[in-house]
Amino acid sequence: MIEVNNLTVRYGGVMALDDISLIIPDRKVISIVGANGAGKSTTINAISGMVNITRGGIFLDGKSLHLPPHKIVQKGVVQVPEGRKIFSSITVKENLILGAYQMNDKHRIEENMKKVFEQYPVLEARQNQPGGTLSGGEQQMLAIARALMSEPNHLLLDEPSLGLAPMLVSGIFKMIQDLNKKGLTILLVEQNAQKALSIADFAYVFETGRMVSKGPGKEIAEDPIVKKAYLGIEE
Amino acid sequence: MELNILLQQIFNGISLGGVYALEAVGFGIIFNILKFSNFSHSGVVAISAYFGFFVSRYIYTHFLVTLIITTLAGGLIGVIIEKLIFRPIRLKGAPLTLFLVNSITAAMLVQQFFAATLGDDYYPYPVFMKQTSINIGNLTISKTYTLMLIISGLVLLLLTYVLKRTKVGIALRAASTDIRTPSLMGVNIDFVISVAFFIAGVLGGITGYLLGMTYSVDPFIGSMILKGIIAAIIGGMGSLGGGVIAGLLLGGAECLLIAEIGSSLTQIVIYSGIFVLLLIRPEGIAGKRYIIKA
Repeated sequence: MIEVNNLTVRYGGVMALDDISLIIPDRKVISIVGANGAGKSTTINAISGMVNITRGGIFLDGKSLHLPPHKIVQKGVVQVPEGRKIFSSITVKENLILGAYQMNDKHRIEENMKKVFEQYPVLEARQNQPGGTLSGGEQQMLAIARALMSEPNHLLLDEPSLGLAPMLVSGIFKMIQDLNKKGLTILLVEQNAQKALSIADFAYVFETGRMVSKGPGKEIAEDPIVKKAYLGIEE
Repeated sequence: MELNILLQQIFNGISLGGVYALEAVGFGIIFNILKFSNFSHSGVVAISAYFGFFVSRYIYTHFLVTLIITTLAGGLIGVIIEKLIFRPIRLKGAPLTLFLVNSITAAMLVQQFFAATLGDDYYPYPVFMKQTSINIGNLTISKTYTLMLIISGLVLLLLTYVLKRTKVGIALRAASTDIRTPSLMGVNIDFVISVAFFIAGVLGGITGYLLGMTYSVDPFIGSMILKGIIAAIIGGMGSLGGGVIAGLLLGGAECLLIAEIGSSLTQIVIYSGIFVLLLIRPEGIAGKRYIIKA
């Protein structure tokens, strides 16, 4: 379980997150929704150790997660960054090897690679191509597969559906649900609020760095005030 | 030009080009990951050249042993330079210009230090070999140049292996496209940068030793890496392979021209030729091959 307590992040003088608290229980799908600039990515990057925390704390099973980013990965908390961030000039296979950077057991790395290839055959077919030659949907698949290589228990997904064709979006959400069924805890940050809320056990609504609403995903999705004000959905 | 002289010059040129290739890669590997031109590489070369001289002259006169010691020392010097002058400003988020300034300052500091302390003399390496050349038919091949070629070739092969087949090598190549994201894969980026400076330092150590052995050592020996930097640029910044090819071509062209028109005119032709080459092909020989998809 990840707990975020009274988290405040300032970039220079700008308040990016203002006193945010949230809980990500094991084996659940937790979603943060909200418009651009709401502080969703900042939250995910704070958990991953990529931004400096001004105030507050982040805890994994009661222990502080205030560590350098690579140590947080060691703890099984792995982020799939916004924009996928596939390394374009190295091959698909090398991207996956990097995903397992913390592992020293070559045999296990190969096993994990096999599993990933079984699940996403298109990656096996393209394993020797540079990552930059994949399509947007394939890159998102690779980004998730790369994260899975380290056998994480918490997966933090930052805007996985951004920039994908509508046809592919459902596929990505299906993939996320499947991973959760296998026991992974998911934090899903999305602008596509409707889709995210439909698979979230619990959701938080952010607006300009503050939390304005929270509740079970389906309830939030149905709340007319939230719909209108924060999700941009008119009835 | 007679055929045997032509062949000899080509051989010498490729050997010299091998050293330019080492310089180009040592320079390029830092450019790839941190995106600044690391002129402090010339400082590593100079310190290593003196270091190699003192070790082989006064401590142990054996070519291979002192080469290996100097190589490791070069790697260590690279790591120390990074920790002293680049890491502190990187952690503060300094702009690239500041890295460039620090790298030039370090190069000047090393040069002036040696000029002030050891500048009055030339330091010739001990003679490692009884015979300086081998005869094949009517070709006379210099042993020094042969060693230069073999060593450069082996080192570049080893480096290729490290970059392609080891995890830290893959991380290094990944960090060349994006230095932030590898952390999310569990990569300790500070360590990877140290490794890059160690590799560059190792290449600088070998370069310093080979140059020192070939030409004798003076405070300005570091400035000889200018050719390697040019090779890196002609090769296409970001492409280590391009730098190697450009290094070999540059060395070959230089030796052929020297035989034909003399050494002073050669430098003028080469430096002017580089302007023309970059005008025709500004992205270099290899250039950028892949674009990043959003």
